[in-house]
Amino acid sequence: MPKVSNWQLGREMEYPYEGSRPERQFCMIMDTNKCIACQSCTIACKSTWTWGKGQEYMLWNNIETKPFGFYPTGWDVNVLDKLTEQSWNGDVYEGKTLYEAAPEGERVLGWTPDEEDWNHPNLGEDEPTGDADTVPYMADKPHSMMWMYYLQRICNHCTYPACVAACPREAIYKRPEDGIVLVDQERCRGYQECLTACPYKKTMFNLETRVSEKCIGCYPKVEQGLQTQCTTACIGRLRLTNFLSKPDAVDPRKPADYLVHVKKLALPLYPQLGLEPNVYYVPPVHVPVDYLTQMFGPGVEQAIETYNSAKEDPELLGLLMLFGSTERIIDTFDVKDGVARGYDGEGKEIVAVPLREPTFVRPLEFVSELKGEQVTGYRHNT
Amino acid sequence: MSPLSRRQLLARAVALGSGATLAELLGPARFLSAASAAPAAGSTPSAFIPGNPLSVMPDRGWEQVYRDQFSDDSTFVFTCAPNDTHNCLLRAHVKNGVVVRISPTYGYGKATDLYGNQASHRWDPRICQKGLILSRRFYGDRRVKAPMIRSGFKKWVEDGFQRNEDGSPKSDLSLRGTDDWIKLTWDDATAIAAKTLENVARTYNGPEGADKLLAQGYDPSMVEAMHGAGVQAIKMRGGMPLLGVGRIFGFYRFANMLALLDAKVRPDAAPEEILGSRAFDNYAWHTDLPPGHPMVTGSQTVDFDLFAAEHTDLLVIIGMNWICTKMPDAHWIGDARLKGTRVVVISADYMPTANKADEVIILRAGTDTALLLGVARELMAKNLYDKKAVAERTDLPLLVRLDTGERLSARDVFPNYEQAALENYVVLKPADEIKTAPPPPPFTVGKQIVSNELREAWGDYVYWDRDTDELKAVSRDEVGGKFPGEPRLVGEREVTLQDGTKVTVRPAFDLLKEYLDESFDLATTAEVCRIPPAAIQSLARQLAENKGKSLLAAGMGPNHYFNNDLFGRVHFLVAALTDNIGHIGGNVGSYAGNYRGSLFQAMPQWILENPFDIEPDLTKPARVKKYYKAESAHYWNYGERPLRAVKTGDDVHKGESITGKSHMPTPTKVIWFGNSNSLLGNAKWSFDVVKNTLPRQDAIFCNEWHWTSSCEYADMVFPADSWAEFKLADMTASCTNPFLLAFPTTPLERIHDSRSDYEILALTAAELGKLVDEPRMAEYWKGVLDGDPSPYLQRILGGSNATRGVKFEDLHASSKEGTPLLMNPRTYPRAAGWEQRQEDKPWYTPTGRLEFYRPEREFQEAGESLPVWREPVDATFYDPNSILSNKKHPSIKPRGPEAYGVPIEQRDAETRQYRNVVHTWAELRETQHPLHELDPAYRFIFQTPKYRWGAHSTAVDADWIAMLFGPFGDPYRRDPRMPWTGEAYFEIHPKDASELGLSDGDYAWIDADPADRPYRDWKDDEPYYDVARAMMRARVYSGMTRGLIRTWFNMYAATPGTVAAQAQAEGNPAQNQVTRYVALFRHGSHQSGTRAWLRPTQMTETLTRKNYFGQVIDVGFEADVHSVSGAPKEAFIKIERAEDGGTGAQKLWRPVTLGLRPEAASPALLAYLAGDYVTRKKVS
Repeated sequence: MPKVSNWQLGREMEYPYEGSRPERQFCMIMDTNKCIACQSCTIACKSTWTWGKGQEYMLWNNIETKPFGFYPTGWDVNVLDKLTEQSWNGDVYEGKTLYEAAPEGERVLGWTPDEEDWNHPNLGEDEPTGDADTVPYMADKPHSMMWMYYLQRICNHCTYPACVAACPREAIYKRPEDGIVLVDQERCRGYQECLTACPYKKTMFNLETRVSEKCIGCYPKVEQGLQTQCTTACIGRLRLTNFLSKPDAVDPRKPADYLVHVKKLALPLYPQLGLEPNVYYVPPVHVPVDYLTQMFGPGVEQAIETYNSAKEDPELLGLLMLFGSTERIIDTFDVKDGVARGYDGEGKEIVAVPLREPTFVRPLEFVSELKGEQVTGYRHNT
Repeated sequence: MSPLSRRQLLARAVALGSGATLAELLGPARFLSAASAAPAAGSTPSAFIPGNPLSVMPDRGWEQVYRDQFSDDSTFVFTCAPNDTHNCLLRAHVKNGVVVRISPTYGYGKATDLYGNQASHRWDPRICQKGLILSRRFYGDRRVKAPMIRSGFKKWVEDGFQRNEDGSPKSDLSLRGTDDWIKLTWDDATAIAAKTLENVARTYNGPEGADKLLAQGYDPSMVEAMHGAGVQAIKMRGGMPLLGVGRIFGFYRFANMLALLDAKVRPDAAPEEILGSRAFDNYAWHTDLPPGHPMVTGSQTVDFDLFAAEHTDLLVIIGMNWICTKMPDAHWIGDARLKGTRVVVISADYMPTANKADEVIILRAGTDTALLLGVARELMAKNLYDKKAVAERTDLPLLVRLDTGERLSARDVFPNYEQAALENYVVLKPADEIKTAPPPPPFTVGKQIVSNELREAWGDYVYWDRDTDELKAVSRDEVGGKFPGEPRLVGEREVTLQDGTKVTVRPAFDLLKEYLDESFDLATTAEVCRIPPAAIQSLARQLAENKGKSLLAAGMGPNHYFNNDLFGRVHFLVAALTDNIGHIGGNVGSYAGNYRGSLFQAMPQWILENPFDIEPDLTKPARVKKYYKAESAHYWNYGERPLRAVKTGDDVHKGESITGKSHMPTPTKVIWFGNSNSLLGNAKWSFDVVKNTLPRQDAIFCNEWHWTSSCEYADMVFPADSWAEFKLADMTASCTNPFLLAFPTTPLERIHDSRSDYEILALTAAELGKLVDEPRMAEYWKGVLDGDPSPYLQRILGGSNATRGVKFEDLHASSKEGTPLLMNPRTYPRAAGWEQRQEDKPWYTPTGRLEFYRPEREFQEAGESLPVWREPVDATFYDPNSILSNKKHPSIKPRGPEAYGVPIEQRDAETRQYRNVVHTWAELRETQHPLHELDPAYRFIFQTPKYRWGAHSTAVDADWIAMLFGPFGDPYRRDPRMPWTGEAYFEIHPKDASELGLSDGDYAWIDADPADRPYRDWKDDEPYYDVARAMMRARVYSGMTRGLIRTWFNMYAATPGTVAAQAQAEGNPAQNQVTRYVALFRHGSHQSGTRAWLRPTQMTETLTRKNYFGQVIDVGFEADVHSVSGAPKEAFIKIERAEDGGTGAQKLWRPVTLGLRPEAASPALLAYLAGDYVTRKKVS
């Protein structure tokens, strides 16, 4: 089996195909600290892509409350349990990936969800671990005795996708121009090997068309330079659709490169599984580190420290304020004099926002010239 | 494990019938043809291998299918405004003439004010899941498709309104909810509405009408309040009217217009005796108002635009689920935290917003007031408070007489005292002039307006000078920097009055300090609230360290308890002690509903135009005269009764009335409401309303676009346009954000035979005018009938302080493009109290200061001159509504039950409202709730807060929303008992669940006080009891404390039609087969446990407060300012296990059997929670 380089593991690993990175990789950054679990993303996605017959249960995008939320039921508990112990030596992963741990004759260590596992898409909503009756007061972060947070989930458009590895038809592919992973709706024959293989359980079976389908990274929008539906409907302003450069060509002016590679603030989901997923999470600052390390890898502590001191880093702060401020995909950004700006690929300004929304005071008594008319009166707050 | 079974799932999808409607409308599913051409699974795949799929895929032509799916033919902008305070301009995407999806406009960052100031794109996007789902609701099967009439009502009308001798209809009114429905034409529907209004006005007119009402058993005070006018039995209500300044506030215009009907049916009445109808209130009815705010400030609500969080260092969120109920403004919390703001969340559970907090306090439900009293005590005892702010801006330095409990008056103390000529931001006028002359246009008013009489009654006040030890007078003008004094705050002295009387006086501060020192020391407070003392100390210390830089935001949590005004008073107290009122980043705010209709101060231009003197030129201002009277809907909800103190068994009409005269309701014979399911179907105690109160009403009319539980019980339902179909523009604004926006007209053709709410009113007015030969009724609605109401909106904009200068056409054009305008109050963000704090203006109170001592009779009788702590009136383990005072206190001498002629042991729910009993904490903690004494199974506090899945009940029954609503959602309803794709549940602590034998997912019955819930005089063998008694699934949930049960407010209630549908065949959803209404309960609702409450201090004749609109200060009832406000969190319940959570052979709900629930965690789940799957060696 070919060896490929997985930067998230700090080492090479086995994968059924030769490594081939796209020029730029579609990715998404999620600031979990700002998610409110409103599922506007979920409904924006569903009303655009999965409203049809056979897709009733299907959520390409979903939000689940960790630790008791799962869609499908138990997905990450199951995969972690199957993989057994996973060890990091510093930033290098020493345990096995799903490819390395695959049983004889299989390409990926996987499991198949039961149909009923898709029943309850918001199982665990808002549900904390701990006991409110015995812990009535948490004086500070982390909320070690009692906590929950929201995890935003789309297809990870992995660099080494398990769905691609598992498909006997080779009907799943990665677009060379943006790295978006697609199930070819004409080639797919509905064997559902991808459902078994994908540890994130983000390929799904369409009950009407009888083929598998999955999040398409909103490529019809991305092709027009627009962020995805789940991003532009995110009122928590916690998402950024962006492109990640190849690891050897990092450009700190580019938002995703800056957050993932320069600041190391945004971390992959279950990197130890070996798929090099391309959705990156700013970890929740109030959640115990052991749980988060299991989920986001060894960079958690440093990322939380970076986030907690963002007020001293205007560049980072400014970029985080640009999340949600525009429908367009930002190519590069800068922050000057309390204003963050995003630019397109040609260097033209797309959007500019203040780091702090300004305040204005208007006069009590006013005489104004408005469209040639004199207008007088009094303004009040009450 | 088996792969997905297409056959089974499809069968369920078809049975459900959801999703199919829209899909069919849009044509075949995308890949149907591709799928049918495909070979069956299991056949040999092509051997064709295209290459490395990481880099190459030769034929990508198929990708066009998703581009086609995404494309649209056109778009338009409309406004989504359920009652969530946000009001979002949204973009509808149209394909083949159908709205297929919704998206945000990204136009908010372009919004500007009249001065050229601009918002930033950090306001974008504004949208949420409730707006995104609208395309499924516009075309949904629950649309009201044509005017509908209940057959029994139709027959009664056609038979000529036959009545019994006492005036009650000869018609079986208990058929509401089960009767047939008949479609009407618009002409017939409006004619029937007009005839009904006229018939009711005549029936209950004059002395004969009054006799009939008395014969029907109405309280004589209520009949007297009609003043002989039959129209006063008509109740109009525009639900949440700020959400439709024209069309929803239009209900109140209609109420004013009915003065023309009164003049017709009472031709002999003098002009000054003519009355419009009654009008039900809104925000106080919705329990959105914080009734303590006018008690401290004189104004309705102090609040701030939520983005002020950008400018604060400490954000203290109390009982406010900000991230769920203020969704588009949730990011301001996260943004503020990134910049260093510390967030403290105080709640009765680990609520969603707690996961955005640095510090979390989980207290006993309903004890927020006690916590803040403990904080206030800590601030005062440790000298952490701001002495200057207290001296200059509060009434705490003013001397109080211990003999009368009143403030010491300067004229009683100083010889020949001449009262100050008030001139600080106030004008004095004769009361007659204020009452009778047309009010000045609001935009021309720069000052408060007070009558000479009121000013005289106030007098001036006295403080004790620190340096000279002398008494000094202080006038209302002397606030903030205008007060030169340095008062003593502590001490007692004797004063000889001008008439020779010797009285003992103390500063209010001293009285308060004594109460707090005795009763709210750290240990007592911690025990009352069930929190560690450190939490109290920490909060006090942080507030003291962040003077002027702390925002104290409260939500519905504390507001939904009976003693909510005490919370408001103490909330202000803590803020006032730390100078955290009236700064951009340091203020108090209360958030529930979009209560601030007074953003449009000139609303009277629309709702109060004089119908006898209509200005025909719509470009000119209207002449205003108020004919309608507002009343609180809580009395109707209470069974059409005022509050009277009465010994059990005595004649209820003979008890002492505790409802003030200005608050007195009238009997209700017609209710007409729109834009609200909360008045009836989702009313507190709604099953009692349906069973016991509705049969006294002759007619119920309702405007809706989506068939709600209120429609289920109506007599006529008028189909209103959905927001996507507006042909007549409207406008709105918000109490939580700075935007002014139009509801734009849209190009989408009406999907059904609907009309604008404006038109429904206007067409009925025209019919009524024809019926009674009064052409002015049509003239009153000319702009609407001509198809362009915008001149009326322009009158409002032109007269209102914050919008004068705005042209409606500009507002409309901008909104159509997806960009609102900014309002123009004094500040951005708008911060109430900013003018008082920054410009030394007086508050709207007698002293001009923030008032914490209330000397009025009603407050003294309640024992609440000081802001004391009382237990909740029902939601407590202890003696309900007890006043806590550890020591006898000179200001806490309440009028006890005996003084009302009621024995002390009488502790039923109604008596408790005025049962003023004082306990020390040592006594109180040994007491028990009377229901618990009756039956120990009653031991749970029952809460019904609001949630993220509905703005009130709007959108929760959409299939995808219900599927995501909590843990039990399932789009295929695999459990055939499920009422819908999601369902109601309650949350219970694991230990409580275990004691009751409840597992996750089990069904259980919930019963509150059997004396009156789910409705008075229920019998367990009558069919309606099966509809009304609440059944829900249990969710075992460790975020609750023991003894606390939570369910959600937003869900649609069971009705006779939904219960019948489920009884008909296994697997049926809870969907009324006739109306298509869907319930999220199999039985009952969250409102099965709630009831109506009337609180004495919210029914006073004496409280000074600003009117709702304008700057006039007056006393007594004012709708949505000073009136009863309800208490939906007050319930004490028992829980009875009903059914297993699993189906078929499975006793347990499946996630429990999988070991993925905390109550039965598998070893894998335990390892997962601990993070044990991963080990990490740290490399130094």
